[in-house]
Amino acid sequence: MTLVPVTYKGGIYQHDIVIDLIEDLGGYVVQKHVLAQEVVLQCFVPRDDIELIREISRPIFGEVTDSPLVGTEIAIVSMSLEIHHLPHPSCDIAEYVRRIGAKSNMVSLARGPGKRITGLNDEERDVINEHDIAVYLMGNFETCIEHKMPILLRGIEVPVVVCGGPDKETLIKIIDPPVEGYVGGVGRFMRRTKEADQLDKLDEIIAEITRVLEKKREDVSKDPLSVAPARLMNLIKERVPAILEVTSPTPLTVQMAGLRVKLPYDTFAPELRRMEIEDGITLGDVAEIEPSRMRDYILVKVLPFSETNTVI
Amino acid sequence: MLAVEYFEVECPEPVGAEYYKQITNDVLLDHNLLKVIEKLHIYLDPKVPIFVAVGILKPITTVVKVGDIANVNPQEGKMTLVITEETYLASMLRIFWERFGKDRVEQPDRFTVVLYNVPVEAKEIEAIVIGNPSESLNKDLIYAFRQIAPEGFRLRSERFYQGKFSFVSSENTLVENIDELVKEKFALMGETP
Repeated sequence: MTLVPVTYKGGIYQHDIVIDLIEDLGGYVVQKHVLAQEVVLQCFVPRDDIELIREISRPIFGEVTDSPLVGTEIAIVSMSLEIHHLPHPSCDIAEYVRRIGAKSNMVSLARGPGKRITGLNDEERDVINEHDIAVYLMGNFETCIEHKMPILLRGIEVPVVVCGGPDKETLIKIIDPPVEGYVGGVGRFMRRTKEADQLDKLDEIIAEITRVLEKKREDVSKDPLSVAPARLMNLIKERVPAILEVTSPTPLTVQMAGLRVKLPYDTFAPELRRMEIEDGITLGDVAEIEPSRMRDYILVKVLPFSETNTVI
Repeated sequence: MLAVEYFEVECPEPVGAEYYKQITNDVLLDHNLLKVIEKLHIYLDPKVPIFVAVGILKPITTVVKVGDIANVNPQEGKMTLVITEETYLASMLRIFWERFGKDRVEQPDRFTVVLYNVPVEAKEIEAIVIGNPSESLNKDLIYAFRQIAPEGFRLRSERFYQGKFSFVSSENTLVENIDELVKEKFALMGETP
């Protein structure tokens, strides 16, 4: 059974029917937003059953759309949090990827701006590496991008998409070492992205992120995970009631090969390790539970089948 | 950039120049500064690195009076001012307090100010000068240019003198001959610093 990421949008009336249906079909609801009279569900559902969900949600005016970025955590790397980069373009892009299901975090560098002083410290590097993909938002000058990229890519292990002012071909030519994705024509700008051509550019960024993530997803599926992160999310919700008290918008953030649990590491890591998933197999057996560099959160990295010899 | 007589961005990278033209336009428009600039020349070289902005300002002679931002309605024993534009409200109140005393000035809501038993005519009130836009202009321009210049360019030198200005910034220590560079850029607009 292949689970595919989709977004369900519909009225609040009888939306629990849809949630029950998704869960009965073996899917998972990753995020649920209730906005006034509207409900947005980001979920994983079996590919063959999408039509069934569409059919059942038709009388209650629900809409099911593909959203390839559900269940991914994206780092939007902004050179600084100064007015030069915020709110445009950093926030515009972070918000746009959020709309189609991704969980985006903005990572701002302490020494991002400037050609001479630019640098990446160990904390920034580790935080970026905790994500599924990093989107670097660079400036308008070839010279600066060429000079800064090798430094900013030092130690980064996740796939990277670089956005910059020069066109795509130039970016491919000047960035060394090469990265996974390039989007040209999106450098620093000081206006809101609302015109059609600007929105097209944002769509281009999404397409590039999706392309890179699909490739990563393929790589993951070659050596499947011992347990699906979305399933872990539901289990933790049931077994660790403290997570329900967390006020952050996504207390459990699903990633492609793991999960960020927003609970203090020292208190809850042993409890998570001991948590039984099925037939006496505990979470500690199939995943590495590590402290996250983001606050004192816990990072659960699910191990692949080749290392554990179990798939549950 | 309709209101500006001369506007050029000079940069060895043509794509960068195009983007900076857009950025400059957006920032100046946001800060409402396009109408005060007559000529503007920007020179950027990320290789050096250096950012130079030189320009000529339009003369601003107008001052803001009470009559410009409020309708004054004299009544018996009091005078009611209906505010139409809030920008200079704070400085207007400060002037009223100094001149008439706090007990005679009242502001019942955001857009109304009432003066009780003031010994002046409505016309005199209307003529009180409450603001001078040119006073804060230099500060606003420096703020705007700091936003336009690339962020890493933190060492800067700016000069505002008799309607002409120059703003130079760089990531490295500014070289000694920036005066010559500024002069050169002024010459491109057909002016002298």
